Amino acid sequence: MADTKEFVEADNAEAIITRIEHKSRKIESLLKQFKPVEALKTALEGSPPNTRDERCKSANWLVVHRAIMAIKDVDGMFSSLDPEYYDILMKYLYRGLSTGDRPTCDQCLRIHEKLTEKAGLGCILRALADTANTV
Amino acid sequence: MAAIAVHQLAQCITCHAWSPDHSMIALCPNSNEVHIYKLSQDKWERVHVLQKHDQIVSGIDWSARSNRIVTASHDRNSYVWNQEGPEWVPTLVILRLNRAALCVQWSPRENKFAVGSGAKTVCICYYEQDNNWWVSKLIRKRHDSSVTSVAWHPNDILLATTSTDGKCRVFSTFIKGVDTRDSKAGSSSDSKFGEQIIQLDLSFSWAFGVKWSPSGNTLAYVGHNSMIYFVDDVGPSPLAQNVAFRDLPLRDILFVSEKMVIGVGFDCNPMVFGADERGIWSFVRFLGERKLSFSGSKYGSQFSEAFGKFYGQSKIGASNDGTDPSRSRGVIHENCINCIASLGEVSSSRTTRFSTSGLDGRVVIWDLQNQEDLSQYLC
Repeated sequence: MADTKEFVEADNAEAIITRIEHKSRKIESLLKQFKPVEALKTALEGSPPNTRDERCKSANWLVVHRAIMAIKDVDGMFSSLDPEYYDILMKYLYRGLSTGDRPTCDQCLRIHEKLTEKAGLGCILRALADTANTV
Repeated sequence: MAAIAVHQLAQCITCHAWSPDHSMIALCPNSNEVHIYKLSQDKWERVHVLQKHDQIVSGIDWSARSNRIVTASHDRNSYVWNQEGPEWVPTLVILRLNRAALCVQWSPRENKFAVGSGAKTVCICYYEQDNNWWVSKLIRKRHDSSVTSVAWHPNDILLATTSTDGKCRVFSTFIKGVDTRDSKAGSSSDSKFGEQIIQLDLSFSWAFGVKWSPSGNTLAYVGHNSMIYFVDDVGPSPLAQNVAFRDLPLRDILFVSEKMVIGVGFDCNPMVFGADERGIWSFVRFLGERKLSFSGSKYGSQFSEAFGKFYGQSKIGASNDGTDPSRSRGVIHENCINCIASLGEVSSSRTTRFSTSGLDGRVVIWDLQNQEDLSQYLC
């Protein structure tokens, strides 16, 4: 029973990786067209990957990280980012902060400040309290 | 102003309950005692101290018809207190727990009470006439973590629980000889004791503060992730709504009508949730008015400017008093609110008055009369 479950999980992981690769190409093309917010939305779409596979999570984080780092105008981003993305974006900001990488942390903190203003402390609570859907 | 009275009755209050006529309040001042205060000439006077527990009292409930108090404590025991003359006489209820009791609630007919515990169990206690003894029947192996809150359905059979495993569950508590098979209760009365009717898997973090609406049609509970959950048609195909809000999580809730819920918790300011005519629940506003200015721009209040002035004034006043201005945000409670109790008629399906108590040791009485914008939810 456990074996089949693991097998399904692995099979599923391949499908998720393929999807993330596809997403990555789409984001690159959006970034070339100077649409960073669209790229971020695309990156957050289908996140977190509904799996416990760390490989999928890392792959998805790389994609989201690429989109987050491309954001130049934070205020402008929030004017066109819908509230439904706030909770998942907050989770990735905390993942970014946990890397300890200087430029990533700088960018994440900048967005975090504005996001907290927009979405309140409840958004942070939801990011921290969710142990099931980790990113 | 929605808050009509503020009473500082202790350093810190873990829970409180009202006497049937609302003239007396029983509260636990974060100790092993229960203090009963009576209002006489606009002053609260301590009339009784119930001393029997060894550790902090975590739950108090005062039955409306039979005038009995039940207390639950971290010492793993419960007492039922009967008033005999001027004295409150305790009867020990052996719950058979190996962890703290966390919450307690009388059933609507007051023939049973439920105790949630840290032992991952719920005790259903009932009185056995023959032995002159309260018997505790356990619902075991159903919860994966501490039971934080229990709530009785108006039919006296169904019990909802929330737990720190993030789930909300509904059980049948039918006890032979205590409950009668009632055609009115429908299919729920066919279930055996301890049978799980439904498990709601909406929250991914600790769940608290479960309540049924006055009719028993809607179930609501909160998560520690700043969410509140509303469930209609509790049964084989429930309809669930998740409402996320932008502030700190809630600890307890109260249905003041079928379409309105008051939530209290770490934000120190009661929140109002309402259902529109389609039955869609949403956050309406804070009850403590000054906080409105704080987030006024977000909720688009046209009065936000005027309230902003009040807010500014109150902040200055607070800092002059030497209190920490970051904590006193111009609201009535200065710390987490962990208990809310109705002050309405028992039989009524709606109430406008209720009380809150919290870690700041205050009991605040609120009245929703004269809150015009909320009246649509109160009918």
